[in-house]
Amino acid sequence: MPTLIQLKNGQFSETEDRFTLVGPDDLTPASGGVILSLARFEGEGALLDEGRPVGVLLQPDEAVEALAYDLPRIAVVALAFPKFRDGRAYSSAALLRSRLGFTGEIRAVGDVLREQAREMVRCGFDTFIPSDGSSSQEWAAAAHRYRHVYQTAADHRAPAFVERSPSDGL
Amino acid sequence: MTLQVLTANRLDTGDVVFWSGQAWVEQFADAERFDAPEPGDAALATAKAQPTLLVDPYLIDLVADGSAPVSFRERIRALGPTDHMELGKQAMGGEAIAAIQHAHGAARSTGRLSLIRRKP
Amino acid sequence: MSLYAYDQIDREMLADRAAEFRGQVARRLSGDLTEDQFKPLRLMNGLYLQLHAYMLRVAIPYGTLDGRQMRALAAIARDYDKGYGHFTTRTNIQFHWVRLKDTPDILDRLAAVDLHAIQTSGNCIRNTTTDPYAGATAEEVDDPRVWSEAIRQWSTFHPEFTYLPRKFKIAVTGSAKDRTAARAHDIGLKIKRSREGELGFEVMVGGGMGRTPYLGPTIREFLPARSLLSYLTAVLRVYNRLGRRDNIYKARIKILVASTGAEEFGRQVEAEWAALDQGSIDLPDLELARIRAAFGVIPFETLPARSEAFEAARAADLALARFARNNLAPHKKPGYTIVNIALKAPGETPGDATSAQMEAVAALAERYGHDDIRVTHAQNLVLPHVKLDDVPAVFAELQRHGLATANLDLISDIIACPGLDYCALANARAIPIAQDIARRFEQPDRAEAIGELKIKISGCINACGHHHVGHIGILGVDKKGEEFYQLSLGGSGAEDASIASILGPALPADQVAPAVEALVDAYLGLKTGEERFLDTYRRLGPAPFKEAVYADAHPA
Repeated sequence: MPTLIQLKNGQFSETEDRFTLVGPDDLTPASGGVILSLARFEGEGALLDEGRPVGVLLQPDEAVEALAYDLPRIAVVALAFPKFRDGRAYSSAALLRSRLGFTGEIRAVGDVLREQAREMVRCGFDTFIPSDGSSSQEWAAAAHRYRHVYQTAADHRAPAFVERSPSDGL
Repeated sequence: MTLQVLTANRLDTGDVVFWSGQAWVEQFADAERFDAPEPGDAALATAKAQPTLLVDPYLIDLVADGSAPVSFRERIRALGPTDHMELGKQAMGGEAIAAIQHAHGAARSTGRLSLIRRKP
Repeated sequence: MSLYAYDQIDREMLADRAAEFRGQVARRLSGDLTEDQFKPLRLMNGLYLQLHAYMLRVAIPYGTLDGRQMRALAAIARDYDKGYGHFTTRTNIQFHWVRLKDTPDILDRLAAVDLHAIQTSGNCIRNTTTDPYAGATAEEVDDPRVWSEAIRQWSTFHPEFTYLPRKFKIAVTGSAKDRTAARAHDIGLKIKRSREGELGFEVMVGGGMGRTPYLGPTIREFLPARSLLSYLTAVLRVYNRLGRRDNIYKARIKILVASTGAEEFGRQVEAEWAALDQGSIDLPDLELARIRAAFGVIPFETLPARSEAFEAARAADLALARFARNNLAPHKKPGYTIVNIALKAPGETPGDATSAQMEAVAALAERYGHDDIRVTHAQNLVLPHVKLDDVPAVFAELQRHGLATANLDLISDIIACPGLDYCALANARAIPIAQDIARRFEQPDRAEAIGELKIKISGCINACGHHHVGHIGILGVDKKGEEFYQLSLGGSGAEDASIASILGPALPADQVAPAVEALVDAYLGLKTGEERFLDTYRRLGPAPFKEAVYADAHPA
């Protein structure tokens, strides 16, 4: 079972995965949380009415706006990194947090390396399935390597221009 | 078949190196010439299994008498930059270096351009 | 003081980066990281594996250095390289002979003088370039360095824009006279004032070189200056989401803009911008004022416009007179001048400087130039604030170090990428072609008679030598293992930007300089009045030039 690293209250820990990622040809499990592709989610939306935790896996070319109406009932949005160089999911996560007001779990799946931990955390991801075998300690170290940031982002860290302002700390 | 030589860059320094049959060496002239595919492929496989020593090992084709690589790019790798003749492998001079500098073959088919004629 | 002064936050960013890279190098050397995993990490830090060794590209933010930084670069060249460095068209410096195992120490040495290699490669926002005359020319509407520094901070480790479809380059020009090739950038920004006097930018998006050159169309005529970073965020977000990732040659924003249409692309940007929380992105006025103040104020003296000492010296010394004619530019303050140092001595490698030369420039800047040095996209250096009275002394010192070549913007002031002599991507050499041409036009009277002529040479289609915007552009190609060179005419990277057109079949290396000479002879025979080569070409088109180069060519 792959490691699931969770960021909660500023702490990274390994945690049990409550969700089954349902492949294109898999049967939907009878119970428990499931993560479906966008196409299957649109076909099996009734699952939401069963009160089960339901998530959606978005590929990088699938716009997060497609989920807008369902977001309040979606437990997790998993964003795929087919290659770690494919950076579209960062914009997807940033939009989920800042524009669509999504407060549920945003999960990084696919080619997920600790070198990206900082960018992912800053853009609003809070669970990670590393493909490089990183432990939660290693993930935390990578995410927290920098003492400062220059931009405002979904993690609400104070950017340099706020740190510098005279009213900082009030 | 076309003669071949195995080359790579050292991971820690980036230096261009060639396989001599016993060791990775600096000079093209000291490289083992492969005249059949099997030993070359075997040496390449061994090199690829040493990722903490080498980056990107590969085989290169040589001109008929084995005195120089066929491609222009590989000649420059075996010599050094032509704007700084005092730098790189060419700095030591000698016959083997001159042979690469003056090699004929596919890389300069018209014969109009002397490869190294930049500094008097 | 005239350089943006780093504070503790800026310094800790660099220290943290150096520490991170030290760890990554250790993991690569130990085998914890494969080459495939490590390569994008080292590239994001400007470290390439080239033909002969690793190459480290150090960022020179918007091309500004002080003497202390220049000395540090000189020391790195001496201690870790082979005693020279290469200034690039992105106004950075490259060291061509570094060892991987030394790079963490080099980054520490750089960080000690507020320098780094962050985002000098990779598919991220690269070093922003600006006018090398910023803060010195009377032409500018506002100092573009202030805005370039704001962009530097915003773009450094931007979490959303670190894995873009392709690299991304921004240029800022503060004056209508464009010394940045703004329209040839992914984003070009031109500072202007609205009719009401408000400060802002014209925003051009989707220019670029490479395989398919484009001049960026203007998508916004006037963007209020305070909204710069939110608007850039909108452009980058649209690009990050929609730019092509299936084909490296179609991944630049220029392809997205061209295929979407500038108007529709602009509409998408405006829509994204309107939906952004702009207030959380744009710098508060206080921070902008802080950045502006952090550049310091140069204590210019009140001087007469005419320097008797300078006039007497140049009347007595023909070489100084020539240097003054070609390499000085007007300064905004009376009695001061802008001194251009061309790294283009005939026979040398364009853009190269030895450690001793770098130290000489540092010393001149410290003694005569308010400790301010600029790097230009034409691979030259600038001392932007020199008293006319001091020009003779500066010139003498430049002469002593082989830095007094008086050929700025002349035919021998050639841009050339490193080409196949160094670069793993190149198809042909660029440097020897530049050397051949420069030698052929070594005679300075002749070069001056020819006048402004910008030759730009690239060793491959990636166009790092900007051949698409050369008055004469030269592109090296590989024809069955042999180096051939394609000539293009009529390009410009200046305010009259245009893309050069291919003149005819590619030529073998030893016929390039003769062909350039034939072009020049044709121009000298055809020019009227004060026409530059480019003007004559624009007036007459390619026919007479084609005739000059190919008339007596043997049919293939």
